[in-house]
Parts: sequence; structure tokens; C-alpha cells
Amino acid sequence: MMASMMLLIPLSLLMLGAAVWAFFWAVDRGQFDDLEQPSRLALEEDPTPSGDATKDPRPHS
Amino acid sequence: MSVTPLDGHWASESLGEGHVVFNAEGIHCGNCARSIRKAVGDLDGVRRVEVNVVNNRVSVDWDTSKLSLGRILGQVSALGFKPVPLVGEAAARAQQTERRLALKRIGLAALGSMQLMMYTVALYAGALQGIDDRIAEYLRWTCFVITTPVLFYSGAPILRGALADLRRRVLGMDVTVSLALLLAYFASSWNTLRDAGEVYFDSVAMFILLLLIGRFVEMRGRHQAAQVSDALAKALPATAQRIRREDGVAERVPLAALQLGDLLRVNTGQVIPVDGILESDGALIDESLLSGESLPQRHVKADAIAGGAVNAGSALTLRVSRLPGESTLHELVRLLERAQSERPRLGVAAERMASWFVVRILLVTVVVGAIWQLIDPARAFPAMLAVLVATCPCALSLATPAAIAAASSRLARLGVLVMRADAVEGLATVDTVMLDKTGTLTVGSPRITRIDTSDGWNATEALCTAAALEAGSQHPLALAFREHQHAAWRCDDAREIAGQGIEGTVNGQRWRIGQPGITLTGDCGRSASFTVDDPLREDARAATAALTALGLRLVLLSGDRHEAVQGVADTLGISTAHAGLRPADKLQHLRDAQAAGHRVLMLGDGINDGPVLAAANVSMAMGRGSSIAHAAGDLLLLRESLQSLPEAVCVARRTLQIVQQNLRWALIYNLAAVPVAALGFMPPWVAAIGMSASSLLVVMNARRAGYEPAGGSCR
Repeated sequence: MMASMMLLIPLSLLMLGAAVWAFFWAVDRGQFDDLEQPSRLALEEDPTPSGDATKDPRPHS
Repeated sequence: MSVTPLDGHWASESLGEGHVVFNAEGIHCGNCARSIRKAVGDLDGVRRVEVNVVNNRVSVDWDTSKLSLGRILGQVSALGFKPVPLVGEAAARAQQTERRLALKRIGLAALGSMQLMMYTVALYAGALQGIDDRIAEYLRWTCFVITTPVLFYSGAPILRGALADLRRRVLGMDVTVSLALLLAYFASSWNTLRDAGEVYFDSVAMFILLLLIGRFVEMRGRHQAAQVSDALAKALPATAQRIRREDGVAERVPLAALQLGDLLRVNTGQVIPVDGILESDGALIDESLLSGESLPQRHVKADAIAGGAVNAGSALTLRVSRLPGESTLHELVRLLERAQSERPRLGVAAERMASWFVVRILLVTVVVGAIWQLIDPARAFPAMLAVLVATCPCALSLATPAAIAAASSRLARLGVLVMRADAVEGLATVDTVMLDKTGTLTVGSPRITRIDTSDGWNATEALCTAAALEAGSQHPLALAFREHQHAAWRCDDAREIAGQGIEGTVNGQRWRIGQPGITLTGDCGRSASFTVDDPLREDARAATAALTALGLRLVLLSGDRHEAVQGVADTLGISTAHAGLRPADKLQHLRDAQAAGHRVLMLGDGINDGPVLAAANVSMAMGRGSSIAHAAGDLLLLRESLQSLPEAVCVARRTLQIVQQNLRWALIYNLAAVPVAALGFMPPWVAAIGMSASSLLVVMNARRAGYEPAGGSCR
């Protein structure tokens, strides 16, 4: 009993550490910066190939 | 902490008076705000200082001869807050950093709490069924290892807030929360060390998690409220195309280099960088950002164009009439920011109540601890902890500001800008609406409403001919013909004959336009007569009907002739109408109504009605094009549409309802929780859930003010 606990609890702590690290990594990469726009991104028009960014300077909202 | 270097965006200065609005990171509660107000207000030369808790904004007016901006910002940083600029990139980056850090703190607290819960279940089960002492000790140590980073990383903003409060010798809600957290943590650690007694590690982590979630929701609302003015501020480009005087070549220069009278070129689809006078013959301008008007508007030469609008037609030239820092858009952003940094009266009351509460809570906690010490010393500590945690007045201090912020961003979507923080409350409680006629219920500029031509002459041709004759005229009625000018109809020899009209040659024929009424007669024998009128806005009828349905009494105040006013009143079904009023008379009518106990909303065009607007309980000004920034009003109607008005009243009423709900809930919860916790019926973890759920409920409820009601209507 004690032997398995000795192994499993540190293991759970390690997994906790890994989860926290992964979450921090994702936050720093901007994964949670915008939770609304990306879901609609696929539905929007592609930008014009001429790179004419002056057409509508304001972001779609 | 260092002060970020200043640039031109931070502050504005005029006639020795400086005005600055900035974000101060780290404001959590009314006490932080109060200490900033006090510290900055005590500086010699500061005239006005406002701090808003919800959007963390600080707004200062000061005498530039006595004080530098650096001193003010230094004072704020010395208190432990970090001043950051509002406008543009830096503000967005500050928001992003704040959001990411908050997410990380929540993430650690959430993962930690889950893990702790598992170990704690094992400990509880072990206590009931018997557990190897060595395993229990092992589990407790594991809990300690997880809780430590949760408390000192995730809980850092709470602990830091409490420390700042203590340093300033005030009692904020962070103090009670931190006291509870630290007591629970150190007692549990001590029990772990000596291997006896209860541990509360799970309660500590859970309490932090729930508090952080509440703060995160509140932070998102704050960021949203700031977006409206940030969107406006960001709309202006950083450079402009200036046309060189010598050779007429367009060169790109930064906005700051522009001078009055410079000629600018604005290509199709580009944003107009500054306020200017149109030099091209005609232009199609999309002013949706400024006025909410979705269709591009046609402008003619010499019209004033507001910076921030988009050129929807072909390339145009523009003469700079106002420097970039003074443009309509900047003026508007500054006014908005000033409004957002103000604290509504309702919020001040709630803050004071919260601080009163904290003192009582600490007293009650000590008394409860003392009594339990006499009855059952083992239960004294958990009971004290529960009282501390359960009664934190977080909900109380969040109730109002969160709702007002949500309502402001909803109103902005309706085209109504909140220029003064109290305006929402005021709008909700009015029972009388006083309306101006010209420019408010009517379009405000003469339009041609009827054309009668002799013997079947084409009305369009008549109109174009008349427009050509009137092109150079300064007569007010000539404005009505402006929009009908056409390049093919020109008149180069138009001559004004005093008291009679204008005479000139168009397409080889002699024409005369003038008395009686507006009649166009030609040597060829053709003639046409035009009826010019100031027509009602298309949605005036619907808007007044909706306002009446909301139970508001409508009063029409106008300086116009009796018949004209009565006609409008009859069409719109307004029972009370007063005509022929001078501004002083309007003011008198308003005062009489107020003396009779009515609360009045005054709706006017904002420029001529200044004094009346100022005297009303709440005022709404109709903004139009480049004049919006000069309109004085608590609320600013950006759209040329009255339909938003009844909706705005609905939003305000709902917001007030929500605020009252929130305050009632927070008060009842806190009063009810104290006896339960004091009698020892509430373990600390239940107290943590109860208190956090209560403030989360309040913040979420407040966010409701920002959404449309499910039914879509209101009383």
C-alpha cells in the first residue's frame, strides 16, 4: 500500500506540473486571447489578392 | 515601479490647464480609488481627480504652471499602481497582458483545486474508516506542496491588494479575504508540521479560484467598456498624404506635422485623418463610425468633413481646418474617457457601505472567536474562518459599477454615447421628455418637398436649373437646392437682385428665381414653383409613440411659429406643445415642470439648447457630423434617428432594476450568512463557495444590462 502511494502521488504531482506548464504555454502563445473571432474566420471572405488593405480599414465586427 | 515615458497621446493642455486620463493597473476596490483620489488630490495644483473602479481609469485636471504630469503619475506609482496610457497599442497590450496573467492564475488555481480535492476526499474518508497515520501525513504534506504556489502565485493580486490597503491604513475587502486565506493556510501548515488537527488547504485553493473567476468576469466587462472609445481613438491613421504647395505632389507625412490650411489627398477607401473643408467638388463620405449612419453621405465643396470618416467615393482633396489633436474624434474620445472615469452616485453609496461592512465583519469575527473559545475551543477557529470568508462584501462593491459599464457599451451599440456616469440612472427615472422641434424632431435643414411645374415641364430639369442658379447663394433656403446640383447645368453669370431673387443664364436661356415663394421663371415661358420645408424625421412618429407607450409625458418646446409647431404636435400626437419660445422661456418651462415634481429628459440639438440641456435632470444631444463634439449633453445621440431613444430608456430602466436587484441580493446574503457562520453551521469551504457564488452572481447579473432582454420589450 505505502509503496504504491510513494510512487503514485509524486506521479500525480508531476502530471499536475505538466498540465500547468501546458496551460501556461498555451496562454503565452495567445491561444485564449480571442475566443470568438476564430470560429467565424472560416466563413469570412479571403482578403483580396492585390493586398489592397485600404478597402475597409476597420476590422469586421 | 517606473513611470512609462510620456508621449503626446497622454494628455491635453489648454490655457494652462492640463487634462489626462490613464489606466492605473491594480485598482480592485473603492479603497484603492479613494487613496489615489486623496494622494493625487493633495498635490498642489491639482483641480479635479476622478477614479473609476470598474475600468481602472484615473482622470486628472491640473494647473500646468504648478505641476508636471510626471509628478502626478509618480504619485500614482508610489502608491503601488501602474499608470498605463489608454489610447492605441499600449492600452491594448496592457489589456492583453492583464488578461493572460489572470488566465494563468485561474488555470493554476483550478488545476490545483481539483488535485487537492482528490487528496482531501482521501483524508476525509480515512478519518471515517481509519487510515495509516503515515499515509495521512504524506497526503497532508502533498496538499501543502500544491497549495503554496496556488496561494502565492494565483492569490498574489489579493494579497498585494490587502498589503496596499494596510499601508494606506484603510480596510478594504481584500484585507478580510487575505486574513482568512493566510489564517487558514498557516494554521493548516502548522497542523501538518505537528501532525495533528484539521487542514483547510482545499478551502484555501477553492476560495482563491472562485474569487479569481469573479474578478475575471468583471475584468472582461471593463475591457469591453473601454473598447468603444478605443475603437474611436484607433480609427485615425498615423500618417496623411499632404500635397506639396510648390509642385502639387502628394507626400506622406505624420499627422503631427500637419498645419492648418494644408491640402491633403485622401484616396478611395481611406480614413480621413483630420477635420477639414472639402476642396473637391463633391464626395461620398461614410460617417458610420461617427454617426452610426450606415449609408455614405454626399458632400459638396466647402462642406466640413470630420476626421475618422471614410472616403467612400473617388479620391478627394481636403483643407485642414483643425489640427489632429483637436479633431472631432479626439474631442469625442476625450469626453467619453472623462465620462468613463467618473463614478456614478449609486456606486459611491455602495462603496461606502462596503467599507462600513468590513469594519463590522472584523469585530464580529473577534467576538465569535472569543465566544467559541469559551464553549468549545476546537471549533473556534473554523467558525472565525467561516465568518471572515462568508461575509466579504465583494458583491456589494461590484453591484453598481459592473452594471453601468455593461449598459454603457450596450447604449453605444444603439448609437447613444454616455457622456456622464449618472446619465444611465437619470434616464431610467425620468417621467417627462421635453423635445425641441427644429433639428430634433425634424431633419433640421430645408428640403424641397414639392415641385409644381407649368404645362408638364420635367420636374428634374426644373430642379437642376434652379440648383444651378442658387449654387452661389448664401440664402438659407438655397441650402435646399445644394444636393441637386448637377455638372451639366451650370450658371456662370448668376446675379443677386436685392429683395427679388437671382437671375442668370443656364444652358443658353435666361432664368429668374425668387418671389413669390420660390418660383422659377424663364424667358421661354416655362415656370416652376418649389415648396421648401423642414420635414419630420422618418422615424419621429414611431419614436414618440414608443416613448408614450413607455409612460413618458411628451412636451414640445419650440421657438418656431405657432402653426408650424401645432402641426408637428398634431402629427406626432404630442398633447402639450409650446411655440414661439426664446431659450429663457424654454428654461422657465423646464423649471416649472421640475418644480411640479417631474424628472425631465431634455432632447435638443445640443448647440442652441445648451442652457436648457444643462438644467434638465438628464439631457440628450443630437450629434451631427463634425459638430458632435461640441454638443453639450449627458448623453449623445450619434445617429440621425430617434428610434434609439425609447430603446435607450428601456436599457436604462433595466440597468437600474438590475443594480437594485444586485444591491438587495448582496445585502441579504451578507446579513443571512453571518449568523449561520457564527453559530458554526458553515465549514470554511462552504463559506468560500457561498461568498464567491454571491459575487459571481452579482457580476453576471450586471452583465445582463449589456444584452437585449429575451422578450425584446420593456415597460
